[in-house]
Formats: sequence, C-alpha cells, structure tokens
Amino acid sequence: MSPLRRISAVKPGARDFAEAAERHLDDVHAFLVYLTGDRNVAEELTSETFARACERWGRYDPRRGSARTWLCQLARSTALDHFRAEDRRRRREGRYALDVREPEDAVFGEGLSPALEGALARLSAAEREVLVLRVVLELDGESAARVLGISATACSTRLSRALQKLEREVSAGVAA
Amino acid sequence: MSRLELVDDRFGKLAEELRAGRPVASDELRARVSAFRPAPRRRFELDLSFRRLVPAVGIAALAAAVGVAGVLGIVHGSAPTHRAVAEATAVHRSTKGSLPRRPPARASAYAFSAVTSADALRATSGRLQQYDAVLRVRVSDQRELSKRTQEALRLTGKLGGYVVSARYAAPGKSGQAVLVLRVPVEHVQTAIAQFSGYGSLVAQQIVLKDLQRRVDDLGVRIGRLRAEIASIEHRLAGSLTPEQRTALEQRLQRDRNRVERLRKARSSSVGRAQLARVSLTMLVGPKPAAAPAGRFRRTIDDAGSVLLRELELLVYALVVAGPLLAIGGAGMLAGRSVRRRADRRLLERS
Repeated sequence: MSPLRRISAVKPGARDFAEAAERHLDDVHAFLVYLTGDRNVAEELTSETFARACERWGRYDPRRGSARTWLCQLARSTALDHFRAEDRRRRREGRYALDVREPEDAVFGEGLSPALEGALARLSAAEREVLVLRVVLELDGESAARVLGISATACSTRLSRALQKLEREVSAGVAA
Repeated sequence: MSRLELVDDRFGKLAEELRAGRPVASDELRARVSAFRPAPRRRFELDLSFRRLVPAVGIAALAAAVGVAGVLGIVHGSAPTHRAVAEATAVHRSTKGSLPRRPPARASAYAFSAVTSADALRATSGRLQQYDAVLRVRVSDQRELSKRTQEALRLTGKLGGYVVSARYAAPGKSGQAVLVLRVPVEHVQTAIAQFSGYGSLVAQQIVLKDLQRRVDDLGVRIGRLRAEIASIEHRLAGSLTPEQRTALEQRLQRDRNRVERLRKARSSSVGRAQLARVSLTMLVGPKPAAAPAGRFRRTIDDAGSVLLRELELLVYALVVAGPLLAIGGAGMLAGRSVRRRADRRLLERS
C-alpha cells in the first residue's frame, strides 16, 4: 500500500465527524461549562469548537488519541482564545472590577447542592478544568494530561489539590 | 479505570454528585452542531504536518545523497584512468635573432598513468620541450632481466642516445636494473614502446616541460645585448676622452661576457629539449603487477568517496548551523513554556 493510500485509509470521513460530534457534544459542552463558569459562553464556545473541528477534521489522526481527547484539546484552545480576548477587553476598558457577574443558578449542572455550586464557582478555571476532565468526563490520567499539555504526574497533583480545595470550599459553604 | 482509582475515597461522594449533575447541551446547540459538515476530502491529499514532513525530507535527502554518489560513481568509474592536466599556456614571443616563430602550446603537461605506452604523451612537434619519462617494468626472471638490460642499452645507442647511468643487481632470486638514458626526443616514443614491451608495465610517468618560452626569452636578451655591443663599438670608433673610452670598454667586455653566458644557457636548454631523459627500472620478483581496478570496483570506490564528501559537508553544515539550531530550538521551547505559563495564569485568574 502506498503511503498516500495508507494516510487516506486512516483519515476519518464526514460521517465519522457527525458521529463524533453527536457522541462527544455533551462532554465538550460540560468541559467548557466548567472552564468558563458561564453556560451562555460555554454554548458559544462549544459551537465554535465544533466549527473548528469541522474545518480541521482531516488533520485528526485516530492513532494519536481518541476523538474526545482531540475535541477537548480544541475546546481548551478555543476557551483560552476567549479568555485572552476577554482579558484584553477588560484591560482596554478598565472595568474589570465592574465585570464581575452575579453567580447564576445551576451553572455547573442540574441538581448540584448550592454549596457545591458555590464551591465550584470559587475555584479557578485551572482547577475546574482538571476536575471536569478527570472526575466528570472520567478521562484517564494520560488523556487528561494531553488535553492540559502537562505530564500525567502534574495532572494527578493538580487534581488532588483541586479536590482538596473543592472539599474545603464545600465545607465552608455548608458552615456558612 | 474504576472510579475508586480515579478519586480518593474521601471525595467519592463529591465526585458522584458532580457526575450526576453534569451539564447537558441544549437542543438548540445540538442542532447547531449537527449542521456542521466537514468539506469533502480530496482523494489524494498529502498531509504536510511538521512531524511527517521532517522524516520525509530526511529520507528524500538521504536518497538524493546516495543517488548522486551512485551516479557520480558510475560516471567516474567508467572513465579511463589516464589523466592529463594542462597547467599553463605560454605566450610565445619571437624577435629578430631568436629561433623561428612557433605556434603557442602547453607550457607544461603532466601525466601519470599505469596503462600501455601507446597512451604515453608525445612532445609537441615544433616546440622545444623537456621530456622526462619514468618506466617501471616487471620481468619474469633474472635471465630475462639481464637480456632486457642489454637490449635497452643497445636500443638507446641505436636511437642516437646515450646511457647516463646504469645499475644492475641480481642477488638471490630477485633482481633490479636501473637505467638512466638520454634518447633523442624524436625517438623517445619508440624507446618507450620498446621498453614497455620488456615485461609487465607496473608504472609509467611522463613529465613534459615547455622550454620554448625560456629559449625565446634568452634569444631576445641576446639580441638586445648584441645591439648594445654594436652601439658601444660604434662609439668607441669615434673620439672619446680616455675615461670615457675606459668605461665603454669595460661595459663592452661585460656585455660580451653576458652574451656568452646567455648563449650557453640557450644551448643547454635546446640540448635538453633535444634529448629526452628516460629512467627505466626493470625488476624481478614473485609479485605480479597489480591489475588496474575493475569498473565495478572503481564505481564503488568513487561512490564511497562522494558519500564521504557528502558526509563531510553534512558535518560541516551541522557544525556551522548546529549552534543556530540549538538556539532556535531553545527559543521555541522557552516560548512554549512561557505561553503555557501565561495560559495557566490566565486560567487561574478566570
């Protein structure tokens, strides 16, 4: 088999993309909800992530990781672009302090206790992203590390710290 | 991976709650995403990602290097081994009183060969050239050595030449005869052909050195001095003070001496050009003359040389470009690290 044909053979087609989008939409959406802490922004970013994925679907190589991992990487990159743009906007407009939103109800999921919801809101995006990947989406350590661009050990450390902080925040919320 | 492995027991309940309440995409978002359709892929699409491009370029460069070496090896391997290098071209100047004007030719030529005497360089007809030949011939036994030595001496005399030196030694089963001969240049080809036929020609070296320019220069200088002598003689015939006469006579004598020296030098050069110097070594020994390398062997040797040269160039390029590549690579790694740190800070702030 020629290299060209071999490359073509492993390349996913349009039908594969539709399947991957349907199967992993909730995962990507949940990841972005946790990352941004805002459902509306997460919806926009999810849409943008899949638009990018659609454009780059030809570059996706199943041998280098699952579609879910690849989509989460794209989602993270999209979210980072959003955060950078927001950061620039806030600096430019000088109203960072005024831009603090009131926490919405049930941002991070349906049926979460108010204490847990509040605790999640108080975590940073960096802490929430490792939580969502490892706990909510149940990605293995290696895949989660690949999405975050760090080593598996560093990912494990971050998860441990994030969970400890979440527990502290929940306890503080309950006590309050 | 089980959930117990994933999260510490302390956080089990927390994790269960997070999973149970995981956010779900709205129908509107689902519809929006399901509308995306990737563009149909071309049948033969080359993926030029960096990770694939680097090994592909490396393999292509390696194939090109081996291919070039192979082609050059074949081209050079099939070429004859005889090499002649022209070193310079003389500008011939002829003046009144000098030797007749002759066409310009190679000032000197060098040839080294292990082929038959038929390939030997010939002196350029009509030009004065110093012709030196060195021949090394292997003969079968001592009897043959003795016979061929005598033949060589006889042939030299017959061709109008003479023996400068002759050394003959035949201890044990080996033997060697070293003859230094002067042969008229017009017969040197005949002599070389004959000498080469005495046995197996092991080596042959011929050096041609053009003497025409030197002889012409000497002729020009002699002509000038003669004109000057004539002028001095003319002045001496007139009326002069004793001091002037003495000075002119001294100058006249000096010029005459110089003319004589130059004439001798010119005669010597002409003599050298008329007699070729042939150094003939004949030897007896069990080792047969080494056969010229075959075409395949030459091809392999030449290809190996080209590959070695390519390797040298690669090492040179790496030495030159290595520090720049290292700096570039370090810069890229540092940039990536800085970007990741900035992203992390951004996420921690968000």
